[in-house]
Amino acid sequence: MKGIVIGGKFGEICIRQKSSEKIELGELLVSQSDQGKILLQVFDLIYGSQITQQNLELVSGLKLEQNENSDFFDANLRNYNLALLKPMINVSNVNAKLCKELPVFFSEVREITSSDLSFLEKPNDSIFVGNLRSGSKVLDVDVYLPGKNVFTHHVLIAATTGRGKSNMLSVMLWDSLDKTYCGTLVLDPHDEYYGRNKLGLKDHSSNKVVYYSSNPVSGTRTLKINIKNIKPWHFNGCINFSDPQIQALQQYYKEYGKNWIEAIVLDKSLLEKNSFFEGTIAVIKRVLMQILSIESNGHEIFTNSIFETSAGDTTITDICNELEQSNTVIIDTSVFSGNVEILIGSLVSWEIFSRYKNYKGKGELNNKPVINIILEEAPRVLGKEILERGSNIFATIAREGRKFQVGLTAITQLPSLIPRQILANMNTKIILGIEMAPERQAIIDSASQDLSTDNRNIASLDKGEAIITSNFTKFAMPIRIPLFEKFAKIEEKENVKLNYGGFSN
Amino acid sequence: MSDVHIGGWRDPKLSELGLEAFGRAIDICIEKKVDFVLISGDLFDTSLPSVDRLKTTVIHLRKVKNAKIPVYIIAGSHDFSPSGKTMLDVLEEAQLVINVVKGEIIDNKLKLRFTIDEKTGVKITGMLGKKGCLEKKYYENLLKHHLEEEDGYKIFMFHSALEEFKPKGLENMEANPLSLLPKNFNYYAGGHVHYIFDKQEPGYGLITYPGALFPNNFAELEKYGRGGFYIVENDNLDWIPVQIYSHAKIEVLSNHNSPREIENNILSEIDKLELKNSIVTIRVHGTLENGKVFDIDFNKLFEAVTNKGAYFVMKNTSALKTKEFEEIKVNTIDSKDVEIKLIKEHIGQIKVKNLDLEQESQLTSDMMNLLNTMKQEGEKVVDFEKRVVDGFKGLLRIE
Repeated sequence: MKGIVIGGKFGEICIRQKSSEKIELGELLVSQSDQGKILLQVFDLIYGSQITQQNLELVSGLKLEQNENSDFFDANLRNYNLALLKPMINVSNVNAKLCKELPVFFSEVREITSSDLSFLEKPNDSIFVGNLRSGSKVLDVDVYLPGKNVFTHHVLIAATTGRGKSNMLSVMLWDSLDKTYCGTLVLDPHDEYYGRNKLGLKDHSSNKVVYYSSNPVSGTRTLKINIKNIKPWHFNGCINFSDPQIQALQQYYKEYGKNWIEAIVLDKSLLEKNSFFEGTIAVIKRVLMQILSIESNGHEIFTNSIFETSAGDTTITDICNELEQSNTVIIDTSVFSGNVEILIGSLVSWEIFSRYKNYKGKGELNNKPVINIILEEAPRVLGKEILERGSNIFATIAREGRKFQVGLTAITQLPSLIPRQILANMNTKIILGIEMAPERQAIIDSASQDLSTDNRNIASLDKGEAIITSNFTKFAMPIRIPLFEKFAKIEEKENVKLNYGGFSN
Repeated sequence: MSDVHIGGWRDPKLSELGLEAFGRAIDICIEKKVDFVLISGDLFDTSLPSVDRLKTTVIHLRKVKNAKIPVYIIAGSHDFSPSGKTMLDVLEEAQLVINVVKGEIIDNKLKLRFTIDEKTGVKITGMLGKKGCLEKKYYENLLKHHLEEEDGYKIFMFHSALEEFKPKGLENMEANPLSLLPKNFNYYAGGHVHYIFDKQEPGYGLITYPGALFPNNFAELEKYGRGGFYIVENDNLDWIPVQIYSHAKIEVLSNHNSPREIENNILSEIDKLELKNSIVTIRVHGTLENGKVFDIDFNKLFEAVTNKGAYFVMKNTSALKTKEFEEIKVNTIDSKDVEIKLIKEHIGQIKVKNLDLEQESQLTSDMMNLLNTMKQEGEKVVDFEKRVVDGFKGLLRIE
């Protein structure tokens, strides 16, 4: 027994802690009655005493000032801890429903055990996120989310740097690799998921990881994108063009089709040239040449980056095909500027979103895996300021994606920069430690479950600890994410002797 | 050059043209006094070509040998045979070609050796191609360091599509990533993808695909009309077209037309064109208003084309839908690709001892090729049967 219910109100149940027991912030407790069990969570801890405050101050003064070695008579009875709990869920047999009642007054409250959580099931389309945690204690209960719903209804991962979000994603991605219901696009600005020189997703036995890099490892693909595949709208959210500049881009596209960028760089004229100032054209030319690293001698253009004129014709199509085959595509964007990274993400996202819209129109969507697009530093494309200047494909996916089985996993340290409407659309939030109060508040205000009393809980999350709030979980679940290095089990590859037919001495 | 596909067309007239194109290319090489010839896979359409085709090929190769021009070769996905029973070996034994896929196996890894061209000192090596990109395993186990560190002018021959350079329209083609190729070669002579491509790639060198020497199917004939090859001098590329007959393309869209109307549209196109000594392709697509595709009298149309002196005429109606079957999806990919896809889908269903998936795939493909064998002119039925049975005995290693 951990304590006894002694008072409070719904949402703030007060228990007295048994002196020999320890109760932590965030700990899960159980109040059991004939009708079933109520799962409770500690959200605050306070001292209680039978001795008046005045006397406590006097006794402490004697001890401090006169070195009097006095003890309390029946100390455990007179001084104690009180814990404030919130009811999480009501469990009867294996059914769990939202709690709408108080535990029995003066009833005992005990520590939670794995058997109390037998109502937690592993869905068919599961994604593993960690082990259930009670305070800092890890329970032997794996937490799975229904992957299809979770990914299509968007995920927000909020954490301050160093709280383990890369580890969290690595664990989730590893677990998703042998699943067929989901294709994942990872824009990786730190080149940390593939595992170029360390354990990473490349080591998974499923062979479902496709890696693109401008500096590829042997056997992986060189990232090359043909500039003919770029359309004016791919720059939305990536470059802040003015209205006249956007109109000029569109006019070039209208007149020159897939050769529109070449036409701008080579100063080809527009039929409606007089509609645009020379300065406008000069600016869009300069910006395009800079972001795409294009040079020109006036007659032809030369490329000096991943954007090419004679290669990468099928890269975007290939990436989308891989996603449709429920593979995980990692694009190493570590050497690119933020704008280029967003442009690449925009190109792929447009293509896959268009395809899925098309599949829906043809009634083929149910045969397709859901698509999960992982976006680091999400406010770059989903921030209020950015969206005030105009929408982009990521905002469109955040608003409409779930209808077409395309979802975002947005990662950020600053959720408060994302508009409330989009935050509310992110129906699963994985909250790791956040130190800044306004950021915690933004998450709490848009959570799927009531986290209004969890401010302290979130602030006190240690590295690797998280709270998951989701439309697809029965309660806001405290979890502990395993260390990727321990979680990823590498199967020893059998050393098969190859038959090198056709190879001779 | 690459993808000569000798024996590739079923129709003898077009099959003949493939050989003729090879002969023409060899003549040009001799005339231009090239130092050596590189054939980047698929000289033949099968590992065991017919005697007639082989004989003419040997004549061409002997001609180039007599001109003291060595021919360096690698096996491609069509003329490779894991059993080693490939005609390329016979040609090498006869010193008509030099297969550059040579080296040793060290700890289950491949160590390629350079073949040095005597006259120029150019160092050549390469990797064979296999069906369904199965050569990927070879690349994954290739020791590359010594190849990349070697001094001098180096050429790497390969027979694979490269992911990064696939053209639009070939998105679904199995391909290897560029990063599997060893770096630091001066020239990469590619084959397998039937398109013309060159690119100076940083860290690598000049990567080229000359395309097929003669178009290998209807779509290629329609798209390119002819094949060709590169002559390279000091890294300057010159693509030399090999045109045996000119190509005339007739493409008619049926916008709910009747078979008679389509015939008339095609006839009017035929009237407009100069067709003497040309290969004519007729493609009809769209939807028929009534009747079936075979209601179009192609015999009459072919006759009209032949009367204008055309060398050969062929049609494609795979994208022509009849009204009642408009909703049916038409798959227009190459039959070879369909075969490979089907093999891949069904592989491993029957457990065969001592046969891994790669070998099973190759065996299935070889058996299909063998079953596709035609009786040769003048060959007795008994001999034909024996040839097929012997082929199977060889494949299945039955005494």
